[in-house]
Amino acid sequence: MSAKTPEATRDLVARVFDEDAGKIQGRAYTDPDIYALELETIFKRCWLFLAHETQIPGPGDFLSTYMGEDPVVVVRQKDGEVKAFLNQCRHRGMRLCRSDMGSKARNFTCVYHGWVYGLGGELVGVPLEEQAYGKVDKAEWGARPVPRIVRYKGLIFGNWDADAPDFLEYLGDAAFYLDVLLDRSAAGTQAIGGIHKWVIPCNWKFAAEQFASDMYHAPVAHLSVSMSVKPVVEEEQVDFGHEGRQFRSDRGHGTGFFVGAGRRQLLGSFVGPEVARYMSEEGKEQAVERLGFVRGEYMHAQHMTVFPNFSFLPTANTVRVWHPKGPNEIEVWAWTLVEADASDEVKEAYRVGGLRSFSAAGIFEQEDGENWVEIQRVLKGSSAQDTWFHIGMGQGRARTDDPQFPGTVGWVYSEEAARGFYAHWQKLLTHPTDPVIPQNEGTCTGETCHAAE
Amino acid sequence: MLPSDPILRQYQVEQFYYAEAELLDDRRYDEWFALLEDDIRYFMPMRFNRGRREMHLEFSDDRQSAYYDEDKESMAVRQRKLACGSNWAEDPPSRTRHLISNVRIADGAVPGELAVKSAFLVYRNRLERQTEIFAGERQDVLRVRDGGFRIARRTVLLDQATLLTSSLSIFF
Repeated sequence: MSAKTPEATRDLVARVFDEDAGKIQGRAYTDPDIYALELETIFKRCWLFLAHETQIPGPGDFLSTYMGEDPVVVVRQKDGEVKAFLNQCRHRGMRLCRSDMGSKARNFTCVYHGWVYGLGGELVGVPLEEQAYGKVDKAEWGARPVPRIVRYKGLIFGNWDADAPDFLEYLGDAAFYLDVLLDRSAAGTQAIGGIHKWVIPCNWKFAAEQFASDMYHAPVAHLSVSMSVKPVVEEEQVDFGHEGRQFRSDRGHGTGFFVGAGRRQLLGSFVGPEVARYMSEEGKEQAVERLGFVRGEYMHAQHMTVFPNFSFLPTANTVRVWHPKGPNEIEVWAWTLVEADASDEVKEAYRVGGLRSFSAAGIFEQEDGENWVEIQRVLKGSSAQDTWFHIGMGQGRARTDDPQFPGTVGWVYSEEAARGFYAHWQKLLTHPTDPVIPQNEGTCTGETCHAAE
Repeated sequence: MLPSDPILRQYQVEQFYYAEAELLDDRRYDEWFALLEDDIRYFMPMRFNRGRREMHLEFSDDRQSAYYDEDKESMAVRQRKLACGSNWAEDPPSRTRHLISNVRIADGAVPGELAVKSAFLVYRNRLERQTEIFAGERQDVLRVRDGGFRIARRTVLLDQATLLTSSLSIFF
């Protein structure tokens, strides 16, 4: 297969998504040159999720993860700060750390020739240095640091771009919706231990887009759940409601949710009656106090993606990254979050509810894998790659003056957020040197920066 | 009653496992679920790559997440899901073959129970060509009931750290 020039790839990207016509072409999900461009101009310029604070609680605790396809180690420093560096020895490129996680590390020693790196990735030791080298400039040859790290309400994000916009500007209005996950309690959140990792042979955008923009699939793809789970309140059947909104970001993020009735019932079907009770009683009360009625009580069954590949379901509290592994494969890394001050009973309910619903064996997640895998298999065909897909749901219906919800907001069953996701994707790929968020006189515009206020 | 002859006991437990495997592979799920005791814990912990000095943390513990951590009620949800007619992850259904071996039997914690370890290979093939092979160990507590065995506890230790499947919709 001959590789296209960057210009030819950008031309292709410009053609495969037509926002005005509401259509996207299959090869957006298969083309290896587009994928290579994504790694370079999206995953090296955008803020990427690294870890939850509680996954690396103490000095020397570390987590191995990925930024795009680049392996990185995220390490708690002795002073409590967090650093991350490329998981690659600067001598011959060997993977420095081969554990998924660990605690109380003192350093990272390459098992190939023994170069030793400190907790921040700085080079501290070279075997036979004096005899073999004379001197190695250690300041020059440390592991490549992730230059930008941000800690936001329990989450740690990294960015390869030293000139990246501040995280809150990167989020824009999406911060309002992200906080439904993170800011329900003054005590903050914690991660339940263990990250589910599984392989889905599909393009990463199918997963990211679905969590940004797709409530539409739930009543069909997940029909078996509503047929199998006993209703929390016996006389009420699980019903996917019709009142709700979807938010489109001008920086690629997206979220959708129901409002009003059905909250306890739906959450009960997602993660069980005890979680539904908690989120209707003490968990709701403190959230309303902090976030107000709209975010604490009115919104529910929310799905969300922070561009490009960080997704979650607030109140159901499953959190995940879709790590790209080539154009045709992802690894899902998923875990469950709980309010730190929830009772042990509630935390246990989240633990079992999360794994039973949202994991490789989860009664919800089983079907998501099925859909994305089969889409990708069909896309092996040349005709299939040339096919245009309808992505025009809710076209022209969104508004920017919703009194309760900031940003561009449409009906819950819409693809407004998907179009926003792909418009941003297209912009970053075709204008690789432009700022990654809308600019006007050097400040973030378009959306208000709520979280920064 | 458990036979006192260890050879007979070995034979009976192995025959039970073969019959159980047949139920799963023949998709006679209602009969398989009926083998689970009311106090069943069906548990498949997660497994991690860690250094040797942290091998005691290789598997997730009871406070952490797991691939499966099920009781009778949550298994009943899965049973209903398999039967409901819209269970797309198993419709069309997978083809599976459960091979059980290396069966080692010890007395259980209470009379009438056995603690049994065994090895499994589970082959799964579905749709056009999706194929997976799972290997691992079962640690069971079997209870003598109605002249046969029932499963009171099953811990499945899978020999994978990253699950090499797009969905885990089968049982082990």
